This record gives sequence, C-alpha cells and structure tokens, in this order.
Amino acid sequence: MQNADAIITDSSGEPKVNYLTNGSTIKSWLLTKDHKRIAIMYLVSVSAFFLMGGLYAAAIRLELLTPASDLMESGTYNKAFTQHGVLMIFFFLIPAIPAILGNFLLPIMIGAKDLALPRINLLSLYFYWIGGGLTLYALLQGGVDTGWTFYTPYSTTFSNTFVMAVGLGIFINGFSSILTGLNFIVTVHTMRAPGMTWFRLPLFVWAQYATSLVMILGTPVIAITVLMLAIERAVHIGIFDPAIGGDPILFQHLFWFYSHPAVYIMILPGMGVISELVSNFSRKKIFGYEFIAFSSIAIAVFGFLVWGHHMFVSGQSIYAGLVFSFLTMVVAVPSAIKMFNWTATLYKGSILWNTPLLYAVGFLGLFLIGGLTGLFLGSIGLTVHLTDTYFVVAHFHYVMVGGQVIAYLGGLHYWWPKMTGKMYSEFWGKISAMLVFVGFNLTFFPQFILGYQGMPRRYASYPEELQVLNIFSTAGASVLGVGLMMPVVYLVHSLFFGKPAGDNPWMLPGLEWRTSSPPPTENFETMPVVTWEAYEFGEENGLDTEEARRREAVSTVS
Amino acid sequence: MSSHASDKFVYHEPGLQHQFEDMKQQEESVSIGMWMFLVQEIMFFGGLFTVYLVFRSKYPMAFAAGSNHLDAFWGGLNTLVLIVSSLTMALTVYYAQKGNRNMQVVLILLTMFFGAVFLGVKAIEYTSKYEDGLVPVAGLNKKVKENPNAEHGAAQAKPCYEMGHGAEHTYINPRGEFQWVDCSLVKVAEKGGFLTPEEKIGYYSNGDIDADKFRDKVRIFYWIYFVMTGLHALHMIVGIGLMTWLLWTAWKGTYSHDYFAPVEMSGLYWHFVDIVWIFLFPLLYLLGRHFLH
Amino acid sequence: MSEKHIESGEGHIAIPGYLGVFAVLVVGTILTYWAATKDMDWIFPGANTLVALLIAFTKMTCVMLFFMHVYWSPKLIWLSAIASFFWLAIMFAYTMQDYLTRSSGVFST
Repeated sequence: MQNADAIITDSSGEPKVNYLTNGSTIKSWLLTKDHKRIAIMYLVSVSAFFLMGGLYAAAIRLELLTPASDLMESGTYNKAFTQHGVLMIFFFLIPAIPAILGNFLLPIMIGAKDLALPRINLLSLYFYWIGGGLTLYALLQGGVDTGWTFYTPYSTTFSNTFVMAVGLGIFINGFSSILTGLNFIVTVHTMRAPGMTWFRLPLFVWAQYATSLVMILGTPVIAITVLMLAIERAVHIGIFDPAIGGDPILFQHLFWFYSHPAVYIMILPGMGVISELVSNFSRKKIFGYEFIAFSSIAIAVFGFLVWGHHMFVSGQSIYAGLVFSFLTMVVAVPSAIKMFNWTATLYKGSILWNTPLLYAVGFLGLFLIGGLTGLFLGSIGLTVHLTDTYFVVAHFHYVMVGGQVIAYLGGLHYWWPKMTGKMYSEFWGKISAMLVFVGFNLTFFPQFILGYQGMPRRYASYPEELQVLNIFSTAGASVLGVGLMMPVVYLVHSLFFGKPAGDNPWMLPGLEWRTSSPPPTENFETMPVVTWEAYEFGEENGLDTEEARRREAVSTVS
Repeated sequence: MSSHASDKFVYHEPGLQHQFEDMKQQEESVSIGMWMFLVQEIMFFGGLFTVYLVFRSKYPMAFAAGSNHLDAFWGGLNTLVLIVSSLTMALTVYYAQKGNRNMQVVLILLTMFFGAVFLGVKAIEYTSKYEDGLVPVAGLNKKVKENPNAEHGAAQAKPCYEMGHGAEHTYINPRGEFQWVDCSLVKVAEKGGFLTPEEKIGYYSNGDIDADKFRDKVRIFYWIYFVMTGLHALHMIVGIGLMTWLLWTAWKGTYSHDYFAPVEMSGLYWHFVDIVWIFLFPLLYLLGRHFLH
Repeated sequence: MSEKHIESGEGHIAIPGYLGVFAVLVVGTILTYWAATKDMDWIFPGANTLVALLIAFTKMTCVMLFFMHVYWSPKLIWLSAIASFFWLAIMFAYTMQDYLTRSSGVFST
C-alpha cells in the first residue's frame, strides 16, 4: 500500500492506453494475464456456445410444433435435447456470469490491479477451451443421447454414443470452474483496496464469493463422478450396474451432490447482478445489505443439503425423501429474503427505466414464478405427479433463463459502457428486453400447463390434444430467439458506431465507475482508498470532488 | 509479457508479482490459494470415499474377504515410507526458511527417493495382484493354469464351488478374468449369523452361497482399491514432478528467509497426499483382519 | 488480513519437534496394524473400524497441525481445513441416510 507510488501515471498528452489498446497481437491476447482480456475472450467463447445451444433449442421447439415426430426421429431428438442441455449448462450457464462479468469486474470492484492468481485465471480459460473443444468434437462425431444427467446404467452400458468424449469435456471444463472459484476466493480475501471492508463490498462480489464456495466444494465431486462413469463405461465392473451388485442410485447421489449446488452456481451470480441493478437504478441504498450478503452464503451452504429432491421417485428411501423435501423448503428462505429486499429497495426509489433495470424487473417476476414452482416440485407428494413432465422443464427454464440469462443480459448492458467504452442503443436495448420478456413467457408458461396435463419431457411426439399449447410455446420461442439475437447486433454495432460512454455513464458511486472506460491494464491509475459505504447515493457523499464536479457537469448538459 | 505497462514498475522485492503490493500480500494469497486447492482435492477424493462407504455398508464380508488378500505388510511399509517422506518434506521447508541450500537439496532428494520407493512398492503389489488374478478388469490378469495341487496363491487354490467339469479346463481364467475362490469368511459369517439382508440377497442363490455372485462383490472392492490407490499414485507422481522442479530451484539457491513460498506450497501438497494414504491404509488393507486371528 | 500471519517459521517447532511428530506417526501406524489384528467385536460390532479411524484421525491431525503448519496459520486456514471435512461429512451423512433407511438397510422397519 505504501508503494502505490510505484505506479507511474501516464502524464503525456497521448490518448490513454487502456486494456484493449495495450498490445494488439494475437499473442498479447492468448498469453495475457489481464483479467479483463481473459473476460473478453470468455465472452466471445461463451456466446458461441450459447448460440449453439440455442440452435438445438430451436430444433427442439420446431420438432414439437406437431404431435408426430416428423422433423426428427426419436434418437435424433434425444441427441438434440442432450446437447442443448450439455452446452447450455456446462458451457454457458455455469461460466457466463462468473467467468465473464465476475472476471472483468470483481478485481475492479474491490480496487485490485488484477485477480490474485492471473496465470491460474488464464489456465482456467484454456481448460474451458479444451473441454469445449472435446465436447464439440463429440457433437460433430455424432453426439450423445443420455440426457445431460448421464444417468446410469444407460450411459455406462447401453448408450453407444460419444459419452466418453463429452464426459471428458465436462471433466476438464470442471477444472476451469474450480480454478475460477479458487481465484475469486483468494482475491476477495487478500486483494481488497485500503478501506474496502467486507461490508463495503458490492453485493455482486458477495454473490461471486458464495458462488466460488460452491465451485470449490462441489465441482470436484462431479469430476470424480464423471471419471468413475468413464471407467465404468470402459471396463464394466458394475459399481453402477444393479445386475451385478452395483447401485445406479449411487451415481445419482454423487451427480446431484454437485449438480444441485450447481444450479446455485448458475443463479447466485445472477442474483448478485440484480442486487447491483436494483439499487443503482433506483438511486437508493440497498435495503438490508447484510441480509442479502448473508443470504448468498446461506444459499451456498444450504444448497448442499437438498440434492435428494431430484431423486424422489428414483428409488431412494421414503425417509430420505422426507428429509430432502423439508430441507428444500428451508433453502427457499434465503432466496425469499433477497426478493423482499429487492422489492423494498425499489419502493420509493427514483427509478431510471433504462435497459438494465428492465431486465432486472423482468428477473424479479420470472424468478418469483420459477422459485415458487420449485417449492411445488420440492414437496414430495406433488412431485410424484409432476416428475419428468414439462412442469419441471418450465420450472428450471424460469429459473435458468428467466433468472440467470436475463440477469446476465442486464449485467452485460449495465457494464457494457465500462467494458468497451461505448454506449449501446438505449432504444433497441429496451425493445429487445421487452421482446425477451414476452417471448420467454409465451414459450415457457404454456409448458407449466402442459406439464400439469401430463406431457412428459424428453419425447419427440405427444398426444394431439396438447398441440395448441405447444404451438404457443414454439411461437414464443421464435420471439425469444429474435429478442436474444438483437443484442448481438446492436452491441456489436455500438463497438464501431456507438457514442463514447464516458467514465461514469450511469452516475454511480461504485468503484468500477471511478476508473476510465475502458479501464487501463492495471485498473486504477492510483491505488483507490475507499471511504464510502456500498451504494451510497447521498449528495456527493463519498464521491471525491472531481467526481462531484463531473456529475454536476453531465446533469446540467442532459 | 502481457502488458507493457508492467515493465514500468519498480519492483521493490524480487519474486513479487505485479498485482500485489508487497510480499506479505503475495504469500497470503498463494497460501490461501493452495488451501483452496487442497479443499477441492479433499472433495475430489471424497467422492471415492463415498462410494467406498456405500459399498462397504452393503457388502461388509466381501470387503473383509477382499481386504484379507491385500498384503498388509507392503501396505504398512508404504505407510511408514510416506511418513518418513513427510518428515523430510517438513524439514525441507524448515531449512528453506533458514536458507540452507545444501540441506534443502539433500532433503528434497530424500523426499523424492522415498516417493519413488512408495511407487516401487505399489508396483510390486500391483504385479502380485496381476499374478493372482485380482485385477478387476478382464484381460489384465495373468492367465492361470488349473492346478489343484498348487501350494499357495489365491487363484491356484481349489475353487470353493464345483467347476463345470464337463469341459476341458486348461485355464481357470481363459480371458484373464478376475478370479475369486475364497469364500471361507462368508461361511464363518453365516455361522455367526451376522450377514446383512443385502448380503443375503447379494451372495446367495437358493440358500447356498453363490461363488459367482460373491466374486462380483469382491470385484467391486478391488475396483475401489485400484481406483483409489491408482489416483493416489497419480498424485504421488505429480508430487515427484513438483519435487524435481523444486530441486532445480533449490539447487540454484532461490529460497531464503524472505522467499520460500514454493517450498511451503509443495510441502502442503505432499503432506496432503500423505494424509490420503493415512486413511487408505486402514480402510483398504486392514478390514476383517481380526477374523483371521 | 490477520495479524497472526506466518512469520517465516519463527514460531514453528524446531527439529526435535518434527521428530516428535514423526515418532507419533510411526507409533500410530504400528498401533493401527496391531489393533486391526485384535478382535474387538465383543465391545460392539465394528469397533475395529472405529479404532482404526480414530488413530487415522489422530495421525491426520498431527500432520495438519505441525507438518502443514496449520497451528500457526491464520483463522481462514483453520476454517478451510475444518469446512472441507464438514462438507465431506455432509456428503457421507446425507448419502447414507438414504442407504441405511432402505428396505434392506440397518434402520429399516
């Protein structure tokens, strides 16, 4: 801290070098240790995987337009939904917010020059690429048809698709996620700027911290489980094969020990983004800071106690089912705390209806529905009726797409000016946010009804009386597709033609808005000293005089 | 190399990375990072221990029988070897802090030597399993000629069930299958009346012990044995690679009172691998020994 | 973050201390082997396993506290060491609460 003077500021008259202009060779990107460049590379790769997963989703919805399995035969359909799931979960939802927004913003938000272990960060990107490459190889070779859950003994004994290659891809990709989590934990513990106490951390950082805990504690278990699956598939000893004394439920226990907490890896960072958006766009200190912070940790911990609710009808004991059902109700409490606090924050705030807030408000509604239907599914009696129907499909899409994807889009818009220095088109942004919301509801709400009427998931055909709702769903999917493609166009457009955003386009007190846009390679020209609480919107309170002057100037112009 | 901004820095201390303010912060970060890595390693092995726990609770007698055919002498020896290597590793860290280059080099070499001894003993054990037909994967076992008069060795003893004497039997395991002939422990347990319901279904057909069914359960034990010790041996190999690098840097006299984090971190890894073995030894080698005495 | 930072080994035990820990580990190993050959089922079934695990835990604690310097480490290191075992316990306990209450399990009715 004493040698902050080691930073030599660029006092010459040339335009300041930022992280994007600091080196333009391919090598300067591929061997970079700069967390912001790594985040940008993640952004490009994750978007590519999202697009691929989206194409599979389009194929699935097209197939379900008609009751007969006419577009694809059942085997192809099995591969389509499996690959949709694998790509979306392991290569989009899990890395999306932590590896892109978290990587980019976490060090800036706590006033650090970089993540604590930059080389480990680069390594995690390479693991992601290798794992993704293996998975793509398997898809090009013919794909995999086990469902993303790889349930045994089908995946070990019967499926003759590329389970091994995809499994290996997931195994390697898992280490990418572990290393990211490890890095975040270390960074939050040791790299905070002077004055940045734990309770001055932005809630986004708290959420990333909780996510990282789950990544460290959960992901290794899926790694070893996939490894055992691969060994079983290779040599058939039968530890998952009931015919010779093995136990397929054991696989499910190990699988869900990770994969249930993994849904919190997917949603917790989204909740962090929403905390930022809700507070900053209602210009109000967040209501119940400590409650939101600790509810993130509580979700991370309780999330490990409920995995059995995925196995209510798969042969676990009734007693275990009861325990897991009860704990599932408990884990809803911290999520509810967050919902109440966000709503209370919005209440009487001076709300700016910009694109990020539109997404945030969309999140509140959709996550509410997703969360409450989760309680339906968590109650052991009702599950017997609803297991493996479209009700489940609709539920987790409400949480994953309505929660994580929408939060991710909101966060991407919110921080886009900081990441690129350019402002996107607010007009098209609002249109796209509303299209996504409408399209999403039209796609997935009918699926609740379909599921309740008994339409099972994972079939290419269905009874004719269910066609009307399926047509609604497919129509909604096309609206959703258009809404999701639009940001690609106008965000890329803004890179070249967007107007410069300025350092603090939203006029906010957070640390990331106190450096230039895009930030320099080491984030801050001088080591920041934090003297304000998080989300402090009082009159110039906590903002330095320079910042106050600039705020004044901008507000008189606009 | 990543940023030309970094060469503008004036480093106050050698070995300090650009993102840190001082050595204290760097050491703290590296240490927490290493511990987080160990936490994930514990969970990684934890998955295997869960599998062990589930199957041991289902088939305790098959586990005891399988364990009795592991050589507890070699297992115990390996435990001692690893403990000695842990001691030399701890002393390496001690001398690295003192900046004593010669002692570091000697102790790292000793640590590597004991690590190699461990792997050698492991190789001896694996070979004997190969010869006795105890590798759970078909095709990876030595084919054993049928010989009822053999003196010792599991696979050469007479099976505890009637072999199909209609056909000519040149080999007991013509395709190198897993072999299991020792049902004595189950018979003892049956008399004592302490077989679990799961075992009664698992080992018996029509009220008689079914050697094939029993063999499958013992094979699960050996699967767990090979995966756990194999993964542990893999960690040992990684550890020896780490030691080689450490030897090179220590030889150059890199470590001193002010900078010894790499030695300490490698030490943490080495001790962790030791701890895994401390649990593997009683859990794999020493089950049901008391039935034999 | 903590004043109790590792001060370059000044507070660590010296060579006699390390040798003492080493002696405990060797004795523990021999004790494990000896205990495994004694029939303790008269205490309660499975007592042998319990004894073996107790010795293993003691050995592990020694290695972690002294060889891995946890004893002189900041609270966070203690916490992460304890938390990892707590999470292992979660995995074991919640998996076994299913197996032991199955129709063939120990606690079945």
